[in-house]
Amino acid sequence: MPIVVYRLLVLGVTTLVVVAPLSLVVYQSFLTAPFFDPSARVGLLAYSFVLADSDFWQAFWTTVAIAAGMAAIAVPLGALLAFLMVRTDVPGRKYLEPLILIPIFVSAVVIAFGYVVAIGPVGIFSTLAKDIFGFVPWNLYSLLALIVIAGLTHVPHVYLYSAAALRGLSTDLEEAARVSGANPFRVAVSVSLPMILPAILFAGVLVFFLGFELFGLPLVLGDPQDLLVLSTYLFKLTNKLGVPSYQLMAVVVVAIIAITAPLVFMQRMLLRQAQRYVSVRGKGLKTQPLPLHRWRWVAFAGIVLWLFVTVVVPISGITLRSFVVTWGEGVRLLDVLTLDHYRELTDYPNVVRGIFNTLGIGVIGGAVAVACYTAIALAVHRWNSGWTRLVDYLVMVPRAMPGLVAGLALLWVFLFVPLLSPIKSTMVSIWLAYSIVWLAYGMRLVSGTLLQVAPELEEAARTAGASDLRVKRDVTVPLIKYGMLASWLLVFLIFVREYSTGIYLLGPGTEVIGSLLVSLWGTGAVDLVSALSVVNVVMIGVGLAVAVRLGVRLHG
Amino acid sequence: MRHAISAIFTATVLALNGTALAQAPQGYPADYAKIVDAAKKEGKVVISSTTDAVAANPLLKDFETLYPGIKVEYSDLNSTELYNRFIAEAAANNGTADVIWSSAMDLQVKLVADGHAAAYASPEIKSLPKWAVWKDSAYGTTYEPITFVYNKRLVPEADVPKDHTDLLKLLNAKTDFYKGKITAYDPERSGVGYLFCNADIKDFPQAWDLFRAMGKAQAKLYTSAGAMMERVTSGEHLIAYGVFGSYALGRSKKDPNLGIILPKDYTMVTSRVAFISKHAKSPNAGKLFLDYILSKRGQEIIANKADLYSLRSDVDGEATIKGVTQLVGDKARPVPIDQTLLENLDQAKRLAFLSKWQQAKKGQ
Amino acid sequence: MAELIVKDVALRLGDKEILKGVSISVPAGEVVALLGPSGSGKTTLLRAIAGLETPHQGSIAIGNTPFFDAARGIELPAEKRGLGLVFQSYALWPHRTVFDNVAYGLKLRGVAAEEIKTRVEKTLSQIGLGQLAARYPHQLSGGQQQRVAIARALVYEPPVILLDEPLSNLDAKLREEARAWLRTLIVTLGLSAIHVTHDQVEAMAIADRVVLLDAGLVAQEGAPTALYNEPATLFAAEFMGANNRLTGTLAGNSNGRATIELFGERLSGMSRTKAAAGAKATGIIRIERVRCASSAGPNRLKMQLKAPMYLGERWELVFAHENLTVRAYAPAPLNPGEHYVEFPPDALWVF
Repeated sequence: MPIVVYRLLVLGVTTLVVVAPLSLVVYQSFLTAPFFDPSARVGLLAYSFVLADSDFWQAFWTTVAIAAGMAAIAVPLGALLAFLMVRTDVPGRKYLEPLILIPIFVSAVVIAFGYVVAIGPVGIFSTLAKDIFGFVPWNLYSLLALIVIAGLTHVPHVYLYSAAALRGLSTDLEEAARVSGANPFRVAVSVSLPMILPAILFAGVLVFFLGFELFGLPLVLGDPQDLLVLSTYLFKLTNKLGVPSYQLMAVVVVAIIAITAPLVFMQRMLLRQAQRYVSVRGKGLKTQPLPLHRWRWVAFAGIVLWLFVTVVVPISGITLRSFVVTWGEGVRLLDVLTLDHYRELTDYPNVVRGIFNTLGIGVIGGAVAVACYTAIALAVHRWNSGWTRLVDYLVMVPRAMPGLVAGLALLWVFLFVPLLSPIKSTMVSIWLAYSIVWLAYGMRLVSGTLLQVAPELEEAARTAGASDLRVKRDVTVPLIKYGMLASWLLVFLIFVREYSTGIYLLGPGTEVIGSLLVSLWGTGAVDLVSALSVVNVVMIGVGLAVAVRLGVRLHG
Repeated sequence: MRHAISAIFTATVLALNGTALAQAPQGYPADYAKIVDAAKKEGKVVISSTTDAVAANPLLKDFETLYPGIKVEYSDLNSTELYNRFIAEAAANNGTADVIWSSAMDLQVKLVADGHAAAYASPEIKSLPKWAVWKDSAYGTTYEPITFVYNKRLVPEADVPKDHTDLLKLLNAKTDFYKGKITAYDPERSGVGYLFCNADIKDFPQAWDLFRAMGKAQAKLYTSAGAMMERVTSGEHLIAYGVFGSYALGRSKKDPNLGIILPKDYTMVTSRVAFISKHAKSPNAGKLFLDYILSKRGQEIIANKADLYSLRSDVDGEATIKGVTQLVGDKARPVPIDQTLLENLDQAKRLAFLSKWQQAKKGQ
Repeated sequence: MAELIVKDVALRLGDKEILKGVSISVPAGEVVALLGPSGSGKTTLLRAIAGLETPHQGSIAIGNTPFFDAARGIELPAEKRGLGLVFQSYALWPHRTVFDNVAYGLKLRGVAAEEIKTRVEKTLSQIGLGQLAARYPHQLSGGQQQRVAIARALVYEPPVILLDEPLSNLDAKLREEARAWLRTLIVTLGLSAIHVTHDQVEAMAIADRVVLLDAGLVAQEGAPTALYNEPATLFAAEFMGANNRLTGTLAGNSNGRATIELFGERLSGMSRTKAAAGAKATGIIRIERVRCASSAGPNRLKMQLKAPMYLGERWELVFAHENLTVRAYAPAPLNPGEHYVEFPPDALWVF
């Protein structure tokens, strides 16, 4: 088919898939009742209710506080970590690198459960501390703890962008500073830092934006103290009036998007800026790392400490919990070890289904998603037209919707459009939700690979007589095979980690581990939750190991 | 040849036995077998429920044994989600689950009042208490005392409250000791919690004082009994207020540390209400399931294996109406399943309650 | 094969006008070199002919088949033009064998597999790579890759083959051998070709006709000898060959002869300007035409020998006088000091 037809087709489908849920949400927010309710009328009732609700404003300001606090913690630590890893001779760099990225790939709910079990009021470490100090020196259920945990777990995001920027810089400037007499710290602060400032800024905005998307952490940690953020407020709204208040929820969704959308656009601009600072690549010179002398091991210890607090504590907590019958004050751990919880998992058909569904959506769903992203990326590839900007913006829209919101919007679409109802209770609905939510991420992965295909290879095919689509089929696609494989792996990890998007779509047949975890936690089945969390962590661990083994660059 | 004949013979006997199992339970009308056959053709029953999957499992497994060929698809949700889902699906003409089984009695009654239930006179009606059946559509299925639960290790013997007044006194006297250590259902986020609060207001004149005392003691509020009890067991909290006796009993069997109190001044009794949806895709299977959980066989499992309480007077055991009556005599206050429950849902009343509740949470 | 005619083509890239109205024609069987410095637009013109860039003015046609016509709104897409294009970077598909690389064009044209095999093998043997058909591009040397690129462009017998600086990626030594080989191949096969290069020696060696481009316009076109021996403009004169530049004043200009005055001396040369006496003038003379003499005389300047340089087959002598530097060739070095440098009048062009 002529490439124009292909492009318009892809453009049309993408637009539909992205705009439909969003428009339904906006439409719903202007109704006075759920859209399927015959008594629904157009009006601003929902807006006035929500905007007059003090809970909403409390949630709003709490979210802002958390987002800002997170960024304040993650940005300096992430930039510092990047400098240490890329530019200095901190020991063990090769082994630390993949470990640093782990928090990105572990589900936030798993991390949250882990913390509760490890350092909650009667957590394993807390009881230890109580034995030693006589009291527990920390309070997990506080706003401060939530901000600190959120900040620490987002250090890798800042690290990724700062490290990439640092790697793209020519080292001449830093070496010139050293020759003039500056010690490594001064070099970092006065030379490297200013040069990667755009990248750091971008990462800062990104983390702030992610603060608005937080759901798992505040759900588990904020719940007991009535600490609401916008996403958990949304959750709470379902019961405010005792009957479904979709219109109120829609208003909150609109509020969330009103804030995240500009942030997404800001990010895009900052990313462009950051890329301009990258000097000519491929100098190929092996750069000498800055020696830290006696600070080497201090820095190493610092990194290990961060890893301990962010990864080891929660994961060991939840793993331990999955192997014990009961825990708490006065219980001796060695007495209560068991494998029962894992056996119990098999007693629940929905849990078993959930495990298989998660594997399925990661492997098969991931592959299909990558294929779709590739189809879209190919349509935009080498297309000199203003339409590509439209696609750029389209792709950013779902990014502004937290997973929870996207899942809800899709549920409404399925309810609204009777034609789609058969797929509502199948994994297809989950796949659709995931693919839409991660559209921007997947596109970036694939586009990155496409950019590496030299244009001449495609031009040569054209002059030999191949039509545009033929060129893509015969030349472009075969050349990006490895990139697509790497993307599949990364998408697998993201899909398996997912927990919030599938919550509103959860039902028999659409269970995935993530949403099951949230639902089971709500019913207090901590035994099952721990065992299932460990299963999830193992799945992700295997995926990560494969990725590292294959040399897949995890810097998505 | 003889092998073949005996094989056919055995097969026939087995088949007859098979259908004999699937035939109507004793005392059922003769044409019940038609329903059974229709249900077998439907092949599955979809249940939407608030009963934890953990608790319901023995019941579901037994049902599948009783009616082989009918698969059970069970999803457990919290009461609000269940209600929302059902309404959305019903309005979208999408078909809903077959049996809706929820502990939020008021929401269930509303759904029936709004015409979403299929009227069906169960053959088991004669064995059920009068208050448990409404319009031959809504059926109470359990008899659950609402209890206090406490951590035996950490709560001093003298503190253990025997009734609501005791609890009120305790919280006012030892506010600091119990600060952050009391837990209860959240009426804002949980339909069940809302129901409990309103029943308390009816039966206990000092209900708002109690709520205020809990507010002062910074009670932590949850939406599920499981979560509450997990925290009492671990010692994170000391006393849980308003826990389904069924869960408490089941949990205490695993953990001897858990103490259960049926308050002596009055013990609220709720019942999980079930109805067959008018929009059910497998209505006959739904009927089978409903009858099953109301039958003696089902109720026995409910009482002894499913950590729920049975409401049939012909079932023996601790977790039955008999057992509860033994403990609290005439102080048991079952919430009747009828239109009085609808008062709770009036929007104005609801918002008024919620704002008064917000004040009480701050101890005012 | 018919004649390729490019008429008055202008092309803009971004907001820069790269081609400002270029016309060339390539009759059947002729090799035309597009020569010029970087930025002159020669590669852009080639790509426009191939259909990879779109001009906004002018027309391109082969015989009766129009490829592009701005006035009539015709634009044939690249894949329909049937030309052969050899890229500077060769652009061989790394995931395909040599055979498949070459066969692709035939495959697209629906040629039967048997025939593809025959034709590809014939082409490969013509370029001397018959035994490498099953190899992958990364297993070949630069020179071999270049030949495969050429074979790929030739196999479907295009009316014109376009070559974009095909020899620039080769080392100097290889380049001279490849130059000879390429010219022989093209002439033997009787092809029409457009060869883009920035190397004037290569252009003259390979082409039947040279088109010299300067900033998007044709500066001069003609046979290599004409361009070398009769440059029409200063630019053309300076671009071809290795030159000496003399700056001075025009002292006389008539009958095809001009006199340039500098340092008090008058040098007579061939006139390439219409200016009148008193105007500024530039004299250009090829290095190899400069003579060394021991005494004063007509068309001679007294200069100091600054440095002799040994080039292997000859010596290059650098003379200087005040701000003028002149280079000359000699079979043997001279002693440093004063010498007389002669500029034969028929070798000196005055602009």
